Amino acid sequence: MNSLYMPKDSLIHSLDPRTKMLFVVFVVASSFILNDPALQLVFLVALFPLVVMAKVVKPYLISIQFLLLFAVLIMTVHGIYNPIGVTPVFEIFGGLTFKYESMVYASVMSFRILVIGTAAVLFVMTTHPSDMASALVKWKVPHSFAFILLSTFQIIPIIAREAKIVMEAQQARCLDVKGSLIQRVKNLVPMFAPLFIITFMKVHQLSYVLECRAFSRKGEKTSLRETKIGSLDYTFLLGMLGVLAFEIYLKLFMMGSLHLTTDALLTYSLFGTWIVFGFMIIKFVVKQFQGKIGGAN
Amino acid sequence: MEPYISVKNVSHKYPNGVTAIKDINLDIHEGEVVAILGSNGSGKTTLVKHFNGLLKPTKGEITVGTMNTKKERISKLSSQVGYVFQNPNHQTFLPSVRQELAYGCKNLKMVDEDIETRVQKAIDLFQLEDRLDDNPFDLNSSQRKEVAMASIMAVSPKVIVLDEPTTGQDHKGCKRVLELVRMFKREGHIVVLITHDMHLIGELNCRTVVMNQSEKIADDHASVVFSNKGIMEEAGLQPPQITQFANQITRFDETKTYLTVESIIEWMKANKEEDVKVGTGS
Repeated sequence: MNSLYMPKDSLIHSLDPRTKMLFVVFVVASSFILNDPALQLVFLVALFPLVVMAKVVKPYLISIQFLLLFAVLIMTVHGIYNPIGVTPVFEIFGGLTFKYESMVYASVMSFRILVIGTAAVLFVMTTHPSDMASALVKWKVPHSFAFILLSTFQIIPIIAREAKIVMEAQQARCLDVKGSLIQRVKNLVPMFAPLFIITFMKVHQLSYVLECRAFSRKGEKTSLRETKIGSLDYTFLLGMLGVLAFEIYLKLFMMGSLHLTTDALLTYSLFGTWIVFGFMIIKFVVKQFQGKIGGAN
Repeated sequence: MEPYISVKNVSHKYPNGVTAIKDINLDIHEGEVVAILGSNGSGKTTLVKHFNGLLKPTKGEITVGTMNTKKERISKLSSQVGYVFQNPNHQTFLPSVRQELAYGCKNLKMVDEDIETRVQKAIDLFQLEDRLDDNPFDLNSSQRKEVAMASIMAVSPKVIVLDEPTTGQDHKGCKRVLELVRMFKREGHIVVLITHDMHLIGELNCRTVVMNQSEKIADDHASVVFSNKGIMEEAGLQPPQITQFANQITRFDETKTYLTVESIIEWMKANKEEDVKVGTGS
């Protein structure tokens, strides 16, 4: 299976896919209920032990890097330019001022992205695609629809691989892929035309293969990988319910008296994303440099 | 004579840490036909992808003509080293054969008359006159493969790399590939073949490089390589059936390796075997 799934032996892996789907829904809902940067940050940190429990820390950090790019962009640009801001917090060079209200807005946005991203990554990395499909079928989702979801997971890596081959094949026909921007846009045709054709051919073939194996047969189907909701799932679900109730309580009764979001918190989280972003850039530059001098290893 | 392609101590390690080729040395001279043999995953494709710069060596150096592949763009190297991919669908995408043939030359920004003469030459060599306006996707797979080869050939590179040219081809298609390789050689090109088709190599009777587990384990004439049992077994290869047959019949000349049916017939005729009927060889 060629997907993001990481086969590991952990509590999170052994949860039923349905529980994990509910977990994702729960996280999305929570990220909107907790409309406050400080609480969202707490929530984000609280999710991390789950990542550790699932034993996917390293791949998680790699994939969350991309979301962090969004966070940096949103926090910086919104923090300075969003017109809702009135109270200045601090000024960087050139008279650009970060304002409190816009920083709150930007932090809520970017933490929400990170929180939802974390839950989604956790779900995808710990759930076997076939398990997800069979769990969906148990929820009375039509079999063909579950299969569409499943095959999407599988076809993306296939397309990525084909894209690489097509790219090489076109370069072998003297296509200059490192030209100007206009040239690069023009290059999309020789890239995508074969890619589309090949993908359609593959999908067409796949439909034949499926028919040959009685895919469209009416009636009940059994699944090779059975999923079952057990006591662990119920515990997890109860936990989620508890947290959700607490969140709603916080939202309804405590919001007036809670002032966790301070200037310092906002500033530090902004600097935090900058520093991590800086590390990413340094790592990227070092890698590029190593490539230039011809692979030091 | 200076080799045209010179591979010196080249290793390639993929970003995922797999070393696909280890310390390869290889010189290819003008006018040579070189077959690269080896089981799947032995590093054949990785090696030849270095010739036009699709991959850059992580250790060692490759020179093509006067160019160091590490320093040149793939598009420039490709004008000297034409690479025909295994699946023509990856390469062809234009609505007519004629446009397909001109595509490489256009990428090299040649003037129109120049393109015209080159395309015409490719048309003549591949006898494509009747199919010029056909859509490549309407052709059958061996014709499509031929169009892919012709479109590479139109640029007239010095070296032509064929990645498994006979895989999935019918007998006629295989024979055509054989003809084409001979034609490339006649036209003065260097041909590098990746193949599992022992019959093809036997017919070509060419230099053969054997790869096994990322390393080059043999580099010699096909007849020498095919008669070296140790190497063949190590690489998991079997010589053409006719060679296996000849090796088991003691009355043939044991110092010679027979690669084709014709060579056996010749031997029989020379030794006045009575049961040979000329013309029923293949």
